Amino acid sequence: MQSYFGAIWSCRFFWLSLVKMDLRSRYRGSALGIFWSLLHPLAMTVILCVVFSFAFGQDLRTYAPLVFTGLTFWGFFGAVLVGGCSCFFQGESYIRQFPAPMAIYPLRTVLGAAFHFLIGMLLAITIGLLVGPDISSNHGATRLNQLLALPSLVPSCILLLLFGWSISTLSGLFSVRFRDTKHMAEIGLQGLFYLTPIMYRIETFKGKHRLMALLQCNPLVSFLDLIRDPILLGQFPSLTTYATAGTVVLVLACAATLAMWIEERRLIFHL
Amino acid sequence: MARIELEHLNLTFRLRRERGIRLKDFILKRMFLPSRNPIMEVRALQDINLRIDQGDRIAFIGHNGAGKSTMLKLLAGIYQPSSGRRLVEGRVSSLFDLTLGFEPEASGWENIAYRSYLQGETPASVRAKKQAIAEFSELGDFLNMPVRYYSSGMIVRLAFSIATAIEPEILLVDEVLSVGDLAFQVKARQRMRDMMDKAHLMVVVSHDLESLPHVCNRAVWMDHGRIRMMGTCADVIAAYRLSVGPAAAAA
Repeated sequence: MQSYFGAIWSCRFFWLSLVKMDLRSRYRGSALGIFWSLLHPLAMTVILCVVFSFAFGQDLRTYAPLVFTGLTFWGFFGAVLVGGCSCFFQGESYIRQFPAPMAIYPLRTVLGAAFHFLIGMLLAITIGLLVGPDISSNHGATRLNQLLALPSLVPSCILLLLFGWSISTLSGLFSVRFRDTKHMAEIGLQGLFYLTPIMYRIETFKGKHRLMALLQCNPLVSFLDLIRDPILLGQFPSLTTYATAGTVVLVLACAATLAMWIEERRLIFHL
Repeated sequence: MARIELEHLNLTFRLRRERGIRLKDFILKRMFLPSRNPIMEVRALQDINLRIDQGDRIAFIGHNGAGKSTMLKLLAGIYQPSSGRRLVEGRVSSLFDLTLGFEPEASGWENIAYRSYLQGETPASVRAKKQAIAEFSELGDFLNMPVRYYSSGMIVRLAFSIATAIEPEILLVDEVLSVGDLAFQVKARQRMRDMMDKAHLMVVVSHDLESLPHVCNRAVWMDHGRIRMMGTCADVIAAYRLSVGPAAAAA
């Protein structure tokens, strides 16, 4: 195990340069370049805000950061899940030539997605601090509380990174064995989008117990809370949130490790 | 010390007619219905016992599909043995599938860096070698262009220049000597000869029976995944020629 991570570390220059190249080639020839990864969730937020504030009378100052953090997270999750499906096919020509540890290929996917996520988070923090939501409704929290809670995002991001690496490893290995995985993942992602409080708060459905119960079963909610609590509510995420997110990451990481353990040696025969 | 040891080594490919299983098939199989995408077993290498020591220059010969290239990939660590023991000590450099593994959108310079990193280089050591690699490839300003625009000959040139820029302890070669145009081939042969001299241990797969005795001291004759004969280069090649037919033996 240790030697495996040692091998991943020793070819770090390789996967880091692949990540760098992925980022560069994604925006090659576009005038705005890397700004697109900012503009995309921003534009989506504006559209949703216009729709929802007119149609449902939502308060923009609270709603905009809610949607923006939600979409930033969703962008990461989608990229990791669907992008992970093609990670081994993308690296096939390297796999056929060099005996590098297989885990570096999902890692490449995650790091690319994480880069966009971090840019989005920086913007979310800025929005939260400047035009941010009215946090005083949350037990009289102040901007100072909000600032103090921000460092909690660092361990949260590390958790998210592990979460993403596990997901993309699993989806990558699955789609090598079952070629339909990517299509199913895309559909599942679409369905999950509405079952995850991206565009709304869970509290919106207070009266509807079944729906509430269903939403609370969604493991993604804890990750959303991890990034939303400090920015939107000016508080540290609760221990329950950490425990849930930590458990989810642990289970997924174990599953990914196990799957990799089994598949690592045979993967090349199925490509 | 470079060293290779294989003991009772087997490699079996379990392949399907269509790559990748359909989820449907997977479920149907569970329900004991006959699969339309059956597993076919190919015993690529069977009960291989081999020891290669420092200083050895070994050639693998045999007909197509005898398992020679599979053997090289196994030695390179790309294929894992199904059973048996494989021990490879020393820094391996492999010259096969040369044109694979280029990032088409990245420039020649960037690809030099990627492939060098995969061969275990660091940014500092790549910086030191970059210029030499570029000069040997003679690609000049083309190196600033994305590899997507390269001709196949140019890609082979670049690949060869990168792959041969390191000093390997174990060198694995799969018939790559026809590299680029005539002028480059002469250069490439010279570079290969230098590399072979420097390498502590070399394994070559080739059909060029004429030149093998000049390069190698031992030969292994592979047949249907098994070692049929092992010995000095001249003996094994003579036996192989006899088995192919009198015409080949006379040649």
